[in-house]
Amino acid sequence: MSAVTLSVHVSDIERLFREQNRALIAFLQCRLNSLSDAQEVAQEAYLRMLTMDNREEVDSLRSYLFKVAGNLAIDRLRKRKVRSEFAVVQSQDEQVDEHSPDHHAVAVEQVAGVRRALKELPAKAAQAFVMHVIEGRDFSHVAQTMKLSERMVRYHVAHALAHCRARVDEKEVP
Amino acid sequence: MASQPQDQTMQVAAEWWARLREPGAGDDVAEQWLAWTSEDERHLQAFEQVSALAEQLGTLDQVSRQSLAKEFVRPVSAQRRWLPLAAAASIAAVMLGGAVYIGWTQHAAGITAQVYQSGIAQNRDFTLPDGTKVALGADSTLSVKYGSGERDVEVRNGEAYFEVVHDSRRPFVVMVGDVTVRDIGTAFDVRRTGERVMVAVTQGRVAIADRHANAGQHNSLEATAGQRVSYDPDASSMTVDIVTPAQATAWRSNRLEFIDEPLGVVVANLNRYAGKPLHVADPNLNALIYTGTIRTDAIDSWIEALPQVFPLQVSREAGGVVLSDARHVQR
Repeated sequence: MSAVTLSVHVSDIERLFREQNRALIAFLQCRLNSLSDAQEVAQEAYLRMLTMDNREEVDSLRSYLFKVAGNLAIDRLRKRKVRSEFAVVQSQDEQVDEHSPDHHAVAVEQVAGVRRALKELPAKAAQAFVMHVIEGRDFSHVAQTMKLSERMVRYHVAHALAHCRARVDEKEVP
Repeated sequence: MASQPQDQTMQVAAEWWARLREPGAGDDVAEQWLAWTSEDERHLQAFEQVSALAEQLGTLDQVSRQSLAKEFVRPVSAQRRWLPLAAAASIAAVMLGGAVYIGWTQHAAGITAQVYQSGIAQNRDFTLPDGTKVALGADSTLSVKYGSGERDVEVRNGEAYFEVVHDSRRPFVVMVGDVTVRDIGTAFDVRRTGERVMVAVTQGRVAIADRHANAGQHNSLEATAGQRVSYDPDASSMTVDIVTPAQATAWRSNRLEFIDEPLGVVVANLNRYAGKPLHVADPNLNALIYTGTIRTDAIDSWIEALPQVFPLQVSREAGGVVLSDARHVQR
């Protein structure tokens, strides 16, 4: 790229960042279930965008950004899977904050609220939710265990998640 | 605080959250999601809120996770099989009298041993004369001999959990395979699989010793609550690791929990609960290491999923289920 087109490209990416960053972070947090991982992956995605050498082939920068970020997220999930095999050894170092009294108090409160909310739901919705969101099982695994289609599992999980969110918010806004 | 997104929006946001998490969700799903977020700024706000909650709940401590799983994760197959099970209950009740065989054996010193036995797939709870509570696992045999100086219990096979009434003048000693377990004010679980022994302490302390150790070598140790001691006769050694009380006694709630145990041990213990026995055709499979939970009322679905975890093949035959090395089968 010439100096002029390069500076145009940089300002395009800056605009993309301003307009899309919030959505990108939300998208990645959903995929990775971790805000801090989402922020790291987003940063790497912008870096890839700045150094891309196929600008002419790309119609929509926004689509391309989400595609790059989505692929980076998949890589990260894969690495996480490998790492989790060593988790038993590492867990004592990594989970120190779990034992801090503050974290514990929040967790106890939260677990009690979620338990109450889940009791209000059909058993299948509660089970699918606990297996996927709390135990971290894939939809396919949950579907197999519960003998349901993945679509039904997704439906149950979404329903339970919305319900828990609403109940937690009720408590925060008396 | 700013106005909360309506319940309806929250519901749609949660549906998007589940859709985007699908591993196969392609670029077009992301595009559709982006279109939805740009319709109304509350959409993205709602989406962020469900995402944040999911992240919080996905990173709970292990105890909370396990307690929620215990309360809400129930095997579907058990619900479906409820009716036939209820019908079978009357038959089971008749057979129970025979399943727990209580016999008396005369001993030289005039002390009698009482033998307790349970049938396949039947856990039994009972209390011994001193008040010690025993939960006996399925297909297990326990022999109890109370003398004036010592309370001797032998786990001949299977599994048992003891809540011991402590009496320092009359120690409570469990013999299991090559190992003795001496209570020091305790609740503990003992399991014997062939010559392998596992002791999990849920409360207090026990002293564990290898009965056949030579006078010179010391092969004994004390284990405290939260510790699990495994004795391997081949190595004649004991290893200690960690177990929660809930894990150690999960079998009492119809869940068999295994942590880093050889498949051969898993299968032998599963067979104490399985209607149809499971056979391992290729001995090399026995050494595969397994960690996980098996519901005793959903053993079939566990078996079906096995080939996804291990390189083996499942075949159902008249005498039971056979596990064979997938590489052998392919020829």
